[in-house]
Amino acid sequence: MNFRRTMIGAATGLFLFYLLLLLALFSQIQGKKGLEILIHPGTLFSIRLSLMAATGATFLAVLIGLPAGYALSRFEFRGKRVLDTFLEIPMIMSPVALGASLLLFFNTPVGELIQKRGVFFVFDVPGIILAQFSTIAGLATRLMKTSLDEISPRYEAVARSLGASPWRAFYQITLPLSLKGLIASVILCWAKAMGEFGATVTLAGAMPGKTETMPIAIFMSLASADIDKTIVLILILVLLGLGALYGVHMTGKRKKYD
Amino acid sequence: MIRIQGLTILFNPFQIINLDINIETGSFHFLLGPTGSGKTLILESIMGLHKPKKGRICIGEREIQNLPPEQREISYVPQDLALFPHLTVKENILFGMRTRNLNFNLYEGYIQNLIEAAKVSHLLGRYSDNLSGGEKKRVALLRALAPKPKLLLLDEPLSGLDPSIKSEIQGLLKTLHGSIHPTTLCVTHDFEEAYFLGDTITIVIDGKVEQVGKRDDVFLRPRSRKVAQFLGARNLYRAKVLKKDEDYQRWIIGMNNLQFSVPFSQCKHSLGLGKEVDLFIRPEEVMILREGKPVKESLKRNTFKGEILAIVDRGIFQDATFQTLEGKILFEISIPNYAFRNLGLSVGKVVRAALREESLWIMV
Repeated sequence: MNFRRTMIGAATGLFLFYLLLLLALFSQIQGKKGLEILIHPGTLFSIRLSLMAATGATFLAVLIGLPAGYALSRFEFRGKRVLDTFLEIPMIMSPVALGASLLLFFNTPVGELIQKRGVFFVFDVPGIILAQFSTIAGLATRLMKTSLDEISPRYEAVARSLGASPWRAFYQITLPLSLKGLIASVILCWAKAMGEFGATVTLAGAMPGKTETMPIAIFMSLASADIDKTIVLILILVLLGLGALYGVHMTGKRKKYD
Repeated sequence: MIRIQGLTILFNPFQIINLDINIETGSFHFLLGPTGSGKTLILESIMGLHKPKKGRICIGEREIQNLPPEQREISYVPQDLALFPHLTVKENILFGMRTRNLNFNLYEGYIQNLIEAAKVSHLLGRYSDNLSGGEKKRVALLRALAPKPKLLLLDEPLSGLDPSIKSEIQGLLKTLHGSIHPTTLCVTHDFEEAYFLGDTITIVIDGKVEQVGKRDDVFLRPRSRKVAQFLGARNLYRAKVLKKDEDYQRWIIGMNNLQFSVPFSQCKHSLGLGKEVDLFIRPEEVMILREGKPVKESLKRNTFKGEILAIVDRGIFQDATFQTLEGKILFEISIPNYAFRNLGLSVGKVVRAALREESLWIMV
């Protein structure tokens, strides 16, 4: 069997498989009805909520993931390996289990205190952001660490020898050099947050008009046999995801500095 | 004056124990050692990237070993240069001045001179990716010198360059050092580079200082067999002290029934009779004597008859392997091409070789 053809055949087969799924969706949607569903307030709410929650969760994930990724990339410290392993938890843990863990956490005295004195997460919008954050924070850290790993620490060393503080060396040298990789990481995390279902539905519930993100809306419409709505929502989600991935590929054509 | 005292660095797998280096202000000091001897680690510790286990680093009266790198006023040119690829050449050069908030007006003339000396004025708007290897080296050097550091650290500044570019950068380093006298500490394993540029040299082997001194002291008078071997010494022998000739101020050294007469000046130590020593015969200071030509009195003491066993053409000189007829001792002799032609040497020819006093060096 021809080696090259076999390899390319595998890639093409996979592409055709996903294409078939998409075509199946298009074949079952009626144009006019699809448009009606798209502009329906419930659909628009889901889109808006998903965009807002995913953006918020991504922002938080970057806020913690960037310094965490930097620490893992640049420093040696006690417990680094344990910490590094724990970051994989969202990747090995089922999203439902992660959501259930969050739900159970808010049942503890500390969790209850947070809910009473701070923000109410369970079955509420902050819960969506927290669930999505929990799912993507580890991924954000991992991806950002990889982007930072590509930049030689020697640039910072030289910058510091020239009088730059660690902060200045970071934002004037490392950050611009790794920016494209970091942007790609942000886009990937955002796309993953957009599609997050398991943890969100477990922690924030599936309340129409309140916590109904797009993946939850897809689940709900399918459960109520509203196939048209299901298809429209899936296509929107797919288009948003494909747009994000295209963005990643565009930034992926970046120049390696070292 | 830069003083490094008792610097001890433990950084697996390297160990640097009690390193002492003194560098006169404005001098070019080389830290010379084989690859993998921890030279870069020493530089990075002086710069502040690694915390030494103990020791002091002083610039003048100011102790800096506990300061972060940005407060040490030490510029560093790493081996890979690490030019900032997202900045233009000009931005790279001025980076240190901007971070230190230096007044550009006060430095304008100085920077302009640097740019002209390094011939990079046509490159100022370019990014480092569009520079050749030699251009990158020049820009990295200027970037380090621009903020007028108290100490300039260079890590193998001439590595990975074509011979012509290497010579050009060597020339630039010499010119810049001659004009602005930056106190410089340079690490390298290339002793030719150290010989060309260095005022003083520290030899570090296996994390230990083996010898410190002025350039000629180190190269012409190695302290130990280890240093001599590292510096590429080819004719090294184990010999015995036979006699101390006070009248002529000489040691008589014996080896395989041959006797060498070595002036006291060619040994740093006082030797006891019967002591085993290392004798180093410098190949470029050995003469092949023309047949029938009278021999100077000073050469007669160390003249030996022997046979040419092999000749290797090194391009700018010839290396002849010579074996004494008595004692069967092998020397390598470096002979300039013109002398080689005049002498009509060939393999198998029996000739007389005279060792100049300068060719002999005794180590304990």
